Amino acid sequence: MTEQQTRSHSIDMSSILGEQRQSQTPNETCIKVENLNFFYGKKQALYGVNMEMYRKKVTAYIGPSGCGKSTLLRCINRMNDLVDHVTIEGKILLDDENIYDKSVKVAELRRRVGMVFQKPNPFPKTIFENVTYGLRIQGINDKRLLEETVEKSLRGAALWDEVKDRLQDNALGLSGGQQQRLVIARAIAIEPEVLLLDEPASALDPISTLKIEELINELKEKYTIVIVTHNMQQAARVSDYTAFMYMGELIEMSTTSELFTNPKKKQTEDYITGRYG
Amino acid sequence: MSEINPLNKLPSVMEKSANSYYQRWRLVKDSLARYGVIAGGLSVIVALVLIFFYLLYVVVPLFKPASAAAVNHYALPEATLGKTVLLDVEEQNEVAVRFTDSGQAIFFDVATGKTIANEAVKIPAGANVVSFAQGSPISEGAVIYGLSNGQAIVIKHQYKITYPDNKRLITPSLKYPLGEAAIVVDDQGAALEKIAVKVGDKSTTIVAKTADKVRLLHIEKNENLMTDEVTLNRSATVLNFPVATITDIRIDKEERNLYLFSDDGHLSFFDISDKTAPALRQNVNVVTAGAKATVTTFLNGDNSLLIGDSTGLVSQWSMVRDELNRPTMHKIRSFKVSEKAIATIDPEPRRKGFAAIDVDGMMGIYHTTSEREVLREQVTKAMPVAAALSPRANTLLVEASDKNIYFWTLDNKHPEVSVKSLWQEVWYEGYPKPDYIWQSSASNSDFEPKYSLTPLVFGTLKAAFYAMLVAVPLALMGAIYSAYFMIPMMRQYVKPTIELMGALPTVILGFLAGLWLAPTLEAHLAGFFLLFTLLPIGVMTFAYCWYNLPQSFLEKIPEGWEAAILIPVILLIGWFAFAISVPLETMLFHGTLRDWFKNEWGMGYDQRNAVVVGMAMGFAVIPTIFSIAEDAIFSVPQHLTVGSLALGATTWQTMVRVVLLTASPGIFSAVMIGLGRAVGETMIVLMATGNTPVMDMSVFQGLRTLAANIAVEMPESQVDSTHYRVLFLAALVLFVFTFVFNTLAEIIRQRLREKYSSL
Repeated sequence: MTEQQTRSHSIDMSSILGEQRQSQTPNETCIKVENLNFFYGKKQALYGVNMEMYRKKVTAYIGPSGCGKSTLLRCINRMNDLVDHVTIEGKILLDDENIYDKSVKVAELRRRVGMVFQKPNPFPKTIFENVTYGLRIQGINDKRLLEETVEKSLRGAALWDEVKDRLQDNALGLSGGQQQRLVIARAIAIEPEVLLLDEPASALDPISTLKIEELINELKEKYTIVIVTHNMQQAARVSDYTAFMYMGELIEMSTTSELFTNPKKKQTEDYITGRYG
Repeated sequence: MSEINPLNKLPSVMEKSANSYYQRWRLVKDSLARYGVIAGGLSVIVALVLIFFYLLYVVVPLFKPASAAAVNHYALPEATLGKTVLLDVEEQNEVAVRFTDSGQAIFFDVATGKTIANEAVKIPAGANVVSFAQGSPISEGAVIYGLSNGQAIVIKHQYKITYPDNKRLITPSLKYPLGEAAIVVDDQGAALEKIAVKVGDKSTTIVAKTADKVRLLHIEKNENLMTDEVTLNRSATVLNFPVATITDIRIDKEERNLYLFSDDGHLSFFDISDKTAPALRQNVNVVTAGAKATVTTFLNGDNSLLIGDSTGLVSQWSMVRDELNRPTMHKIRSFKVSEKAIATIDPEPRRKGFAAIDVDGMMGIYHTTSEREVLREQVTKAMPVAAALSPRANTLLVEASDKNIYFWTLDNKHPEVSVKSLWQEVWYEGYPKPDYIWQSSASNSDFEPKYSLTPLVFGTLKAAFYAMLVAVPLALMGAIYSAYFMIPMMRQYVKPTIELMGALPTVILGFLAGLWLAPTLEAHLAGFFLLFTLLPIGVMTFAYCWYNLPQSFLEKIPEGWEAAILIPVILLIGWFAFAISVPLETMLFHGTLRDWFKNEWGMGYDQRNAVVVGMAMGFAVIPTIFSIAEDAIFSVPQHLTVGSLALGATTWQTMVRVVLLTASPGIFSAVMIGLGRAVGETMIVLMATGNTPVMDMSVFQGLRTLAANIAVEMPESQVDSTHYRVLFLAALVLFVFTFVFNTLAEIIRQRLREKYSSL
């Protein structure tokens, strides 16, 4: 195992920062992953990952299936805790606080780090109840506040105009794309700091995908976004930074334009030119 | 190209298979499977429908109206020998008898009216008949002639059946049970203007009215054991009662109650238990103002009087105990036959029904307790003089004033059943008030079966209620824990184990409940109560302590085995509850908790009660509910739980707000199927309930369910009897019950599924 860990290598963050061109605001670190090793039982899934994600920027993880990008994403809001027999070594700092610290309350962490999954997963409740779910579990039942939040969140998720007349309908009656935006609305209703998107458009048709991508562009005004995607064009379109992962290792991370136009590593180049993956 | 292109090979493979035998066989298999499934489904439906219709087929005759058919009419046999005072038919409906006012008994053929025999009653010379009375039909055909010289003759008409040449031959004869010599009733020789008799095995009571006295004569037969010599002990009394108005006299079969009717419609009720000191108990007006009592008779069993009056009303008067616990006569119901005066009333000799005919010959057949008019028929055009219902109540002879006898056959199999008698409170004879009673049989012959299904339905629901009270929380909590919190390794063992509980034969559960649990509960009632209170408290306390245990200790416990630590805790609480129950009972309740409930709350304690049933049947229902609910909870898609957790919900919030909501159709189904099982369950309730058909919601009282009732009574019921058909009706009720329940449950489940189904 020590031999495996030695394979890990960190990205030189300063080099990435220096090359960042279009950033108007100074980059402020929001999430910092430090030497993260992850095991499913005896099988190691992540090898010494180190990276930083910046506030109100979109970071995309790309890489072939099984490379560990979803695992890494799920570490950020500790969803991997739900899987039996996992071991996590290393640190993830959210606003300089290790989220794997014993004092951290997982439910509170997840409120701060929202997540949207590959498959739309609205609850079998009304649209209204779906959006307010996160508030209700925090004990917020003030009707006016809930109504305001629903409108704000649905507008934020670019869904308001489509559903404003049927808030009391079952959410399962929406189309796949609408459901996914509803799930995003549900996630932003509780005002998280970070949004984790796990292949949010892979189960959707091209038009819905486009809407989601537009939405991501709007959302980064307010949220730090981390997105896992199979689709390199999508990564190129929506993200500010891109991390390429392979076999549980972070191979390369830089600004998106840099990574796609001028990859430093051969593995990255092979992948983005379609030679494998 | 030497290289083989696999695509070139493909068509040939497909072609080969397309033409092959396999292709056709595949289609055959497909249609076989389809028709097989259709046939299977249809046969299930057909079987259900057949069961339903078979039940209905057995039940329907209960509610059919009776029918009457006029068979024949013929001239009054031996019309010259005097007027009819009594008409009667023997058991086989072959021979009828006509007693005349001249002291003749004329036996004739029922079907043709041909005289079979003609016997004169041995009336002493110089005396003539002034009065006549029939003992009740149940006293084996005893009649009495009151004579002008103060004497009376008691006669029995008997029918001996022999089979010469394998043919039934009925030979009628007259017997003198008290000897052929006339009995002196009035020693002063005054004419016996009205008379009544009751002939029992050991004694005979005669009450007669002369011009100025009411005389009571009691004759006791004493048989000397050594010599078989019979001696008659007489005791005579004179009743202190104004005689002038007496129109009718009745004595019940126990020879304890005497009823005198006056022409002003008054009934005087005497207690003659002590034959030397008759006591007047009650004096009551039995007809409405202006009406006259025209006919009086006993209903079968001699507990009720039927009084027909001049307005066409027949009322039933029964003995009911009043506030001071004295027996008094009460009018419990009445039947309107017509607007004309009642001419005859013939009680059915074996049931609580009667046939009443008005002066215009309109007959109504009624059943008293079911309050049902089973038939109305014009049986003669002329005014009826006398009528006779055969013992089996299937033949009716009516003599009319046109000197003809009309012979009718009746088909009246189930008069005692009506919607009212099955479902509503019925005022049975001898009961203080109307009530719901199921009592299908008893040892005495004039017993009236009581078929109220209400206590059985009540019992069924009560048993199901208590069973669900025990089973639903336990099974659902268990299901939630096992599906949602338990580690998969443990669940793998726990789930099949609980499901195996369902395979336990219910007869064993019932047996244990009846023979072990019931006596244990009775002996340790306080212990059980204490256990149910201490257990939740104890478990909660333990859980609290658990969180405060040092981490190093907690880490030693293998993952998923935390719950196992509870087992010794539960055992300890159990032991503690039972150990302190006895001293606690003595201290707080001054004896046992059972007695305390009885004395302080008036709650009687049956050993086999609803608590026992609740526990035993709850145990039987738990696996059903657990298994289905567990599956439903477990199959809630992972992405919903994860979605909820990702929004910052705790595990508990996720379970309550998402998992249970999504699983609700399945959980609902589980509860309904459990309820269906509890309603239809037979062996446990049969063995653990005491089978007492009482309507009492008390947890300490027994009950009887529809299913157990069928199981208990079906073997002893005679095929096609009313009892048999009522049991089928109970089965039908159970069937409809389950059917309606399941249909409703399915509809609600579909609704829920529409609402909460996930992707």
